[in-house]
Amino acid sequence: MATGSYTLSAGGITLANAAVTLTFINPPAAPNVRLVFRRFWINQSNNMTSVNLRWQVNTQVTAFPTLVSQTPTKLYIADGASVITGATTGAAGTCGINASAEGAGAKTIIYADSFNTTNGALLVLTPEETIEMGASATSGLGMHLPVAPGTLTNWVFGCIWSEE
Amino acid sequence: MNDDHHLLIGRANGHLFRREDKTESYVVIPPAHLITDSDGAMWTFGTAYNAYGEINVLRNDFDTGEFAERIEYRKGQVRLFGKAGWRTFSRSRRHFI
Repeated sequence: MATGSYTLSAGGITLANAAVTLTFINPPAAPNVRLVFRRFWINQSNNMTSVNLRWQVNTQVTAFPTLVSQTPTKLYIADGASVITGATTGAAGTCGINASAEGAGAKTIIYADSFNTTNGALLVLTPEETIEMGASATSGLGMHLPVAPGTLTNWVFGCIWSEE
Repeated sequence: MNDDHHLLIGRANGHLFRREDKTESYVVIPPAHLITDSDGAMWTFGTAYNAYGEINVLRNDFDTGEFAERIEYRKGQVRLFGKAGWRTFSRSRRHFI
């Protein structure tokens, strides 16, 4: 099985005026690698009004969000492709960005915080605090805005995980 | 919007950022994601670590060759904190002192 580090990142994104899942990665069925999440970030380059905005990292069980399909990018060019593929469904083994519908599945908050939208937020998970999603987890990991942001355009966000 | 309205233009994580104002003093990465200095340069952390767990420091997506635990903007200067203590980006924009 492939191992390596991968990123799901996007910029210049226009969000819906609602709570929205920004990135969503659902581990594949077992037997397969586990996903070890190392970093999340969010920012916007549109509006310089100083306001705080809640954000969170959460797991979600089915029904999953409806997403824009995006393929993970490898951090190291020599690595193989990720076991995760882009899809709109959020199903096992897939990922996507900028949900248009959140899905009815319950979310469980792992990390909740608030950030100033002029400075953005960076969450670097140190080794003993990494978020791990094993194969056949039957739930995906999302970066989520629980309330609609005041400015909707030019959002930048992403996450990095290792497949081990 | 015209670029004339954005005096500060820099890059971070592969994306172009156009800003009208530099970052306020005492903003620290993390938990902030980036710092905009008075040149418009964007300061962020990269994805490489050294043996002390410090992260490489990027300016406009270029590696500065420095590693740090925190990047802080204070009184118009970018400062790094790490195992070697505090370092300040020089006025010449070339060195950390």
